[in-house]
Amino acid sequence: MSLLLVMNACKVDLLDTTPYGQVTSQQYWRNGDDVVAATNAVYAPLLEEDGFAHTEYCFDNCSDDMHRAGDHSDETALELFTFDASNSHLLATWATKYEVISRANAVLINAPKVDMDETLRNRSMGEAYFLRGFVYWRLSLIYGEVPILLEEDAINLNFNKPKSSFEEVRAQAEADFLKAAELLPVSHAAAEAGRVTQGSANGFLAKLYVYNENWAKAIEYADKVIGNGAYTLAANFNENFELETENNPEVLFALQYETGWTADNSPAFYHTPQAYGGWGFHEPIEDLVEEFEEGDPRRAYSIYAPGDPVTRGSQGTEPFEADMTRVTGYAFRKYSAYTDAGDMSQSLNAPFLRVADVYLLAAEAKIRSGQNGDVELNMVRARAGLDPIAGATIEDIMHERRVELAGENERHQDLMRWDKGGILDISAHYSIDRGPYKPGRNFVKPKHYYFPLPQREVDLSNGVLVQNPNY
Amino acid sequence: MTIKGPTRKVTNRCFAKTIKLLFFYLMISPFSWANDPVNATALGYPEAILKEELAEETITGQVLDESNNPLPGVNILVVGTQRGTSTDASGKFSISVPESATTLRFSFIGYQSQDVPLSGLSTISISMKPDISALKEVVVVGYGTQEKEDVTGAVSSVKGSDFENLPTGGAQQALQGRAAGVNVVRNGGAPGDAGSIQIRGFGTVNNADPLVVIDGVPSGSMNDINPNDIASMEILKDASASAIYGTRAANGVILITTKRGGFDSPVKLTVNGYVGVTNRMKILDVLDAPTYASIKREAYSNDGLPIPSIWEDTQYQTQKTNWQDELLQQGTTQNYDASIRGGGKYSSFAISGGLYNEKGIIGKSNYKRYNLRINTDHKIGKRIKIGQNFQFTNSHNNAPNTTSSQTGLLWSAIRFHPGLPVKNDDGTYSSNKGIGAFGDINNPIYTVDVQDLDNVRNRFLGNFTGEVELAKGLKLKGNIATDATFANSRSFDVKVTDQFRSTSYNELNVSNSKTWSFLQEYFLNYDTNFDQHSLNLVGGYTSQTFNYEFAKQRGRDFASEEPSLRYMNYAGTIASLGNDNGGKSYDALQSFFGRVNYSFMDRYLVTATFRSDGSSKFAEGNRFGYFPAFSVGWRLSEENFVKNALPFVSNLKITGGWGRLGNQNVSSLQYLALINSSYRYAFGDGNPQNEISGAAQSKLPNTKIGWETAEMTNIGLEAGLWKNAVYFTLNYFIKDTKDMLLSPPSLGTIGTADIPDQNIGQLRNQGFEMEASYRKSIGDFSFNIGANAAFIKNRIVKLATPGAFLASQLYGRGQQEIVRSYEGNPYGTFYGYQTDGIYQNQTEIDSDPNLANDSRRTDGQIVAGDVRFVDLNGDGAITDQDRTILGSPQAKINYGVNAGMTYKGFDFNLFFVGVGGVSIYNADRMQGLDASYPFNLYAEAENRWHGEGTSNSVPRVSTLNANRNFRPSDLFVEKGDFLRLKNLTLGYTIPNSVLEKVKIAQARFYITGQNLITFTKYSGMNPELGYIGSTGGGSYRQLNVDYAQYPQARTWTLGATISF
Repeated sequence: MSLLLVMNACKVDLLDTTPYGQVTSQQYWRNGDDVVAATNAVYAPLLEEDGFAHTEYCFDNCSDDMHRAGDHSDETALELFTFDASNSHLLATWATKYEVISRANAVLINAPKVDMDETLRNRSMGEAYFLRGFVYWRLSLIYGEVPILLEEDAINLNFNKPKSSFEEVRAQAEADFLKAAELLPVSHAAAEAGRVTQGSANGFLAKLYVYNENWAKAIEYADKVIGNGAYTLAANFNENFELETENNPEVLFALQYETGWTADNSPAFYHTPQAYGGWGFHEPIEDLVEEFEEGDPRRAYSIYAPGDPVTRGSQGTEPFEADMTRVTGYAFRKYSAYTDAGDMSQSLNAPFLRVADVYLLAAEAKIRSGQNGDVELNMVRARAGLDPIAGATIEDIMHERRVELAGENERHQDLMRWDKGGILDISAHYSIDRGPYKPGRNFVKPKHYYFPLPQREVDLSNGVLVQNPNY
Repeated sequence: MTIKGPTRKVTNRCFAKTIKLLFFYLMISPFSWANDPVNATALGYPEAILKEELAEETITGQVLDESNNPLPGVNILVVGTQRGTSTDASGKFSISVPESATTLRFSFIGYQSQDVPLSGLSTISISMKPDISALKEVVVVGYGTQEKEDVTGAVSSVKGSDFENLPTGGAQQALQGRAAGVNVVRNGGAPGDAGSIQIRGFGTVNNADPLVVIDGVPSGSMNDINPNDIASMEILKDASASAIYGTRAANGVILITTKRGGFDSPVKLTVNGYVGVTNRMKILDVLDAPTYASIKREAYSNDGLPIPSIWEDTQYQTQKTNWQDELLQQGTTQNYDASIRGGGKYSSFAISGGLYNEKGIIGKSNYKRYNLRINTDHKIGKRIKIGQNFQFTNSHNNAPNTTSSQTGLLWSAIRFHPGLPVKNDDGTYSSNKGIGAFGDINNPIYTVDVQDLDNVRNRFLGNFTGEVELAKGLKLKGNIATDATFANSRSFDVKVTDQFRSTSYNELNVSNSKTWSFLQEYFLNYDTNFDQHSLNLVGGYTSQTFNYEFAKQRGRDFASEEPSLRYMNYAGTIASLGNDNGGKSYDALQSFFGRVNYSFMDRYLVTATFRSDGSSKFAEGNRFGYFPAFSVGWRLSEENFVKNALPFVSNLKITGGWGRLGNQNVSSLQYLALINSSYRYAFGDGNPQNEISGAAQSKLPNTKIGWETAEMTNIGLEAGLWKNAVYFTLNYFIKDTKDMLLSPPSLGTIGTADIPDQNIGQLRNQGFEMEASYRKSIGDFSFNIGANAAFIKNRIVKLATPGAFLASQLYGRGQQEIVRSYEGNPYGTFYGYQTDGIYQNQTEIDSDPNLANDSRRTDGQIVAGDVRFVDLNGDGAITDQDRTILGSPQAKINYGVNAGMTYKGFDFNLFFVGVGGVSIYNADRMQGLDASYPFNLYAEAENRWHGEGTSNSVPRVSTLNANRNFRPSDLFVEKGDFLRLKNLTLGYTIPNSVLEKVKIAQARFYITGQNLITFTKYSGMNPELGYIGSTGGGSYRQLNVDYAQYPQARTWTLGATISF
């Protein structure tokens, strides 16, 4: 009998194993459903705190709008320009951003080979181009020079690449946005709202051309958004930051969250004051609060200030108090929403591009190219119920952008852009003491225009990846 | 030996009687049966069974040794019965025997057994003769046993008696310090935390646990066994000894043999119990409330910032609570077990059951374990033997989180505001909520009080063994085993509303898993002797399959948190866990093995082993690995020239061996590119949005993945002097781990997909191990002392690319990088900046060449009181490139010292463990001195720099910390050497003369202390920190980094062991 058992046990298939409940990449890419699922996955890393949910906002702590307010010493170093290349935020977001690129590349490689509906194929590939372009766009702002990985690199597993020049990275973002604008539809069915559209791509192209100071193209692409009836300002500013209306036609691109399903640690968690269940990072400082004009309703929609009535579901309405914050006495309201029971909701989306921004970009492009930008600027002011401005200047644009987009991750980049454009001196601007929560800081030009590459990546690349100058 | 009637009948009768008596022992006072057979009859025993006990006679006598000295402790058995006794201190005995008895058997370890026919004698005096062959200690080796003298590999033995009744949660902890080269790394002191075992250094960056074989079954954790059930543990350290387990032997093998009943031995009931208390050894000094506020004020002033009013607020400046005092409470330890062991001519058995319950010093931490073990052996005829082992363990473990550098319990207690009470006057817990300046920590006592978690494991481990003698010396053996664990864990997190770190829902997590393996093995064993040759051959087949299946559920939004409603059917919503919802895996191993042991003239020894292993972990084509090993030995003490020249040498042997071993203990299916279909996003208008799933490749494949191998060379010396009163072993080894499976440098540009392991790393451990012992008796006094030490050097020889390193998890809210492992260095080295004191004044800063070109100096970011970092690369600026290796967590020496003495009935034992030449990175202190955090600080902050000449090691306090004084640097690397009095035991055994009157065979009472004294310069809570973090995704574990882990505690227990 023993012998029988031996014979039985000697069957070779004892060692054959099965990946239960998992598919392999050889089995994948069967049909359109697979392509859509793979495209959905490209969006997912955006929600990670290392991707866009927290780290990107930390980079904007460098601005003159807010205080870090957390207890993360690396964020102190970022805000005070005392960081070095081993700062953890620089490292963490790197891999998460390249994960988006990797997933986009997978769609771009495989979608053309799949037997599927052509419209769906175009939509999916458009989304992949857009998201890859978006990441290269952010990489060009944060690090300046980074390795560009495209489809052929993914096929050849060529990951340890030297970095490309700033112009090449920027050009890659532009090329991807242009392809996306070509492939993407103008809008989606209600159930698919939140997927990127032609308007998303054109809006980012407008922004990219403003950064490139290519005023003609900036105006051209801004017009493709604001000239299209599908992309309009929401009737009320606050609709952009409320659960029911967060995907209104004004929102061109936003991180889409649904509580209990998508990742925790959303912008809502980081921004909502701890008294209301959040962590209370990124607190506005007095200087920003005072930037709002008298009677501008956006102040109260954007920022909780002491005395503001706060309604939280069935918990009713109570006044906001300064000691509900960690330090500054103010908190951003844009990222806070509450459940019926009054608890913090992590379903609130976080916009990364709104039509209002595109109007202001168009206005800026016109003004900086010697034209009149009043119409576009006053669209945004009118929606806030403010008086129009005649003969608007770049100063008016700077003011309007600061209040309209407060806390939306634009300010520090705007200031650096205006510095490079000779409109202000950012070193002088940042050296001003703005009170205990924004003492004068030492912005070194050109060093601080870009953050250093993560030192760990440089060290791991065995000499292939070269650190940014001045670090 | 007299056998009446057919063999089979006697067997049945003996066995039946054994069982009945066993039952009787359990149910009735154990004293009654021998004294009152009538009572036994009344209970229903057939007269036939009891007949032989009815007519009695008493036999007395004395037993002497070969020099005619009295020999105490000699076992005396009435052959054919269960009745027995043993000699007292003067070698005398008295036993009543039934009339039918014909023979008394005298046996004692180290002496030849003697059968003395009774033939009407009422007094028997005999002298015992030493048994030369019995002096030969037998050690268990893979698939057999071997005389210790003939072993040519490196094997350490630890006897169960060495750690019996020590208050340790498991056998793994008990092994610490007991054998050279066997290092038990304790990961803090949480009840139930077994720690990890390293044999001969840090063998691989992957799972470096040795293979644990329990009674012949390769199985997982050894902590499920009651240590009191263990007869011996053999640790196979070198390739020659362990290669028979080729596949899983690269990190050593531990063979555990549990206690069995002996044939022809009286049934013995042993009851055992100890109870004790556990207390903290230390708390860290932290600032009191007024000093905390004043130092925070100083920090703002140093930064030229206005002082926030909260730090002036006197209501927070009254010292109210020492949170460590509140958190670290007295714990308890209890152990109760009972065993019945014995056997007749054809069957023997051992049954034991026990309960171990340890309540830790932190909060609700608790480890509770129930054990049951049944081992039996049977002889069927003369040629067949069968046996069986069964072990059941039920354990509950609910250790809280003490390893998070963001929310750990002890971490929180060190930092929570000392001016807040545990509870407010209205009975609510105090909180930082609404006082953001004190940091986002929850009241640690609140966290303890709301904890509701339980991890349950039920494990069934059983095997059947059989042996048939096919011809003289040739035996066919089989072993069939299953090992199944059913685990259930459950945790309920209440909705936290009144603490800083609040939650917007309550949550129940339940997970169930089952793990089961099936082993079958068949092998032949052949023993023969001819002339002066002795030969043993073993060879066979083994396969083992491993299955794992799990399911998890998460429910949220419970309308009520009543304990009786904390079940899934009451959840308001069920949340999907994606890939963690459930799954299944299967792995298998299939192997052939063989071994030859040959000796000539008892002095020239050769062992050769070969094993071929197939593993499902690798793709077809790479599945099979081949693992040869051989060793030779020369027993010099058998040579006449040694015998003549060195007559005091009782044993002298030199050995040498080489072999290759394998490790396949890595993730399965790495040769496949797997798609994860559970990535998440949301789309859709309105609220709520649609839950959307996405799919992407989550793992890159490595189709070439194969065995990790270790090649080991061992040279050993073993010497016994003066009849082995002095015993000494010395081993030198080199262990090269080759083709080590490493995640290559996980470049961020790959994204976040898991990188498959590749066979690219090399690691070398080399060193010396020594064990020495001495024993001596002077009259009633005897003592022994033993020591072991290992000096091991660990080096990473090769990583994926030159200059590459292994990364590790980042520390704390500042996400600081503390550990990197580089080629040419030990694993897990600390990495950071070198420092050179504190700048005392501006002139020192202005003239410092370290800062010659550093723009931070000209920008005024460095001021007096800041740390002087060293510009290692000489570019005149402090940058990331100035970081270097600051210290190693790998000890240069691990040692243990054991000293015991007995005098009359007293026994006294001391056991020390220690490590030397090791560093600790005190990360908790790094954060604990940094006033840019809102939290409370170490009391050491009072020694901070606050003016020229005030300190050269603790920098000034600052909230902005522009010079980043608390970046990882040598300021926080400390010596981690320690010597600890691990155990002290004082016992008293009541003399036999007293016990006989109450019919008790043995009674011992004892007091034991654990972790009594620690000698160390380490400033933290506890120098035994162990591993933290996990290996995977391009990140590797850290060793000896202080995260404020669960500290070890001091335990005192009182106990008793009584045998009948």
